[in-house]
Amino acid sequence: MERITSPGSRSGSCRDDKQFDGEIEGLMTEDDLQEAAVVPVTESTFTALLGLPANQAIELLHETESVKSPEIPTADIWKDSQEDQRTFSYPFNCSLTFPTNAALVERAARFSVFASAQDSPERCSIPSISSENSPKLKAEPANSESNRSSSPILSSSPTIPKQNQKSAKRKEREKVKGSVKKSKYVENGNKDGEKLPYVHVRARRGQATDSHSLAERARREKINARMKLLQELVPGCSKISGTALVLDEIINHVQSLQRQVELLSMRLAAVNPRIEFSFDSLLAAESGCLSTGSFPSTLTIEPMMWSELQFNGERRQQHQNQHQQLWEVDLLQPPVWERENYNNYHPSENSVFSYNSSAESVSMHSNQLKMEL
Amino acid sequence: MGLQSWGSSIKDMNLLERRKTIKLSADVAMASVRGGKTCWSRALIANASKQENGKTLVRNILGSEFEKLTKPSMGAFMSHKRVRSKNILRRSCSSHRIRKIAPKRVQASSIAKRMVKKRTQILRGLVPGGESMDDFSLLEETLDYILSLKAQVDVMRCLADASELLNGK
Repeated sequence: MERITSPGSRSGSCRDDKQFDGEIEGLMTEDDLQEAAVVPVTESTFTALLGLPANQAIELLHETESVKSPEIPTADIWKDSQEDQRTFSYPFNCSLTFPTNAALVERAARFSVFASAQDSPERCSIPSISSENSPKLKAEPANSESNRSSSPILSSSPTIPKQNQKSAKRKEREKVKGSVKKSKYVENGNKDGEKLPYVHVRARRGQATDSHSLAERARREKINARMKLLQELVPGCSKISGTALVLDEIINHVQSLQRQVELLSMRLAAVNPRIEFSFDSLLAAESGCLSTGSFPSTLTIEPMMWSELQFNGERRQQHQNQHQQLWEVDLLQPPVWERENYNNYHPSENSVFSYNSSAESVSMHSNQLKMEL
Repeated sequence: MGLQSWGSSIKDMNLLERRKTIKLSADVAMASVRGGKTCWSRALIANASKQENGKTLVRNILGSEFEKLTKPSMGAFMSHKRVRSKNILRRSCSSHRIRKIAPKRVQASSIAKRMVKKRTQILRGLVPGGESMDDFSLLEETLDYILSLKAQVDVMRCLADASELLNGK
């Protein structure tokens, strides 16, 4: 058991500690990222957070998922003589609230190993860790107990042999959690009552609040992801850093949009309401310009607008501008769910289907309007 | 459609009322696009239907969805309660803080947090139905709201231009 071997191995050097810290950092980031990934955030966010190129991340993912046997290719990754020393004499009785995502743990371990294997001082930045790790990803020779730990967890089956491995993971994670908080380095080695005289592992407090910190971190990641989206949406926000300022910009944007709506409504009101909306030409006009969408939409203002546009030749420009604008905005939407939202607008721009959905009502209304006018 | 329905009834209104009606109908139309999926759209429609003159308008625009969309009155009720309790909590907390001027060092992080909190408050006031949401959903709703506002502005601008060109010789 590692417990037994740890004291001997733990005749640590500061290097170990540093490695461990790095490992912790790596783990932490991995954890958080993974948590974010567990939440329905897309892989894009995840990779963005990682700072990895997307393909590498996908490789990672595939690797983690594909690995089911103890014979882990990632074993290669795990490397290192130094790893042996770092036997995680870790508490076995910590309760875990980790997500059951085996890939997460595995990747966390892998990254942490990298970080540690780098033998560099603590890294606190995710990109640095990932960037340094990624090259080594495949290069690492075979393993140590970390490998063992990763494999069973990877298999994520009750056949996970030993508690030691699990607990190794757990300990790592705990430490990670602690390091997340960047709390003081408490030399307590093991918070769970493991008796080690000298512990060169810098354990940070965090075990008691593990679930809290986990949830907190997940929540924060979610919020950050959303803030990023917002930043992309609001023009001129991408350069600003800091939540408060970005929020400022967003608020300004919303206010300006609302004011614009009011102004436009005033303009519309000022216009003589003798507007002829003729929808008979709508279909003919639309089919020429727009591709068909098949989404039902209840927004039927567009059809009216398009008809106007078709009326006068010079409006064609506006029509195209409109179209372009929407396309541009669409391009700004990397995340999937965004696109989903936007698809609702797309179809609304393709008035063909909107026309289909509301043809009857529209024609009815137009008749009404004509009558009253 | 919204324009049509109000178009049919704006003959007698003066400018102000017309503007309000237009804005209202535009808002409701925008909200109706979202169906009942987003919180703000529901709140918008709820607010609109509360007003007297808005009710028929909303009904016209929404058509069959009217009942569906105004149905979550239960949810709105609960949200009101939540809002009220939140406000009470907030007020009590803030007053408490004023009295205890204990902390000497004002951490930068706390300042930043306060700034962010203030801004989220403002944002909550802006986005319809924002009071009864936690931070995260607020951000989502804002995202959605901004998108739809943009589309609404575009539509109305085109419409206004078109109609001006058409009529405003």
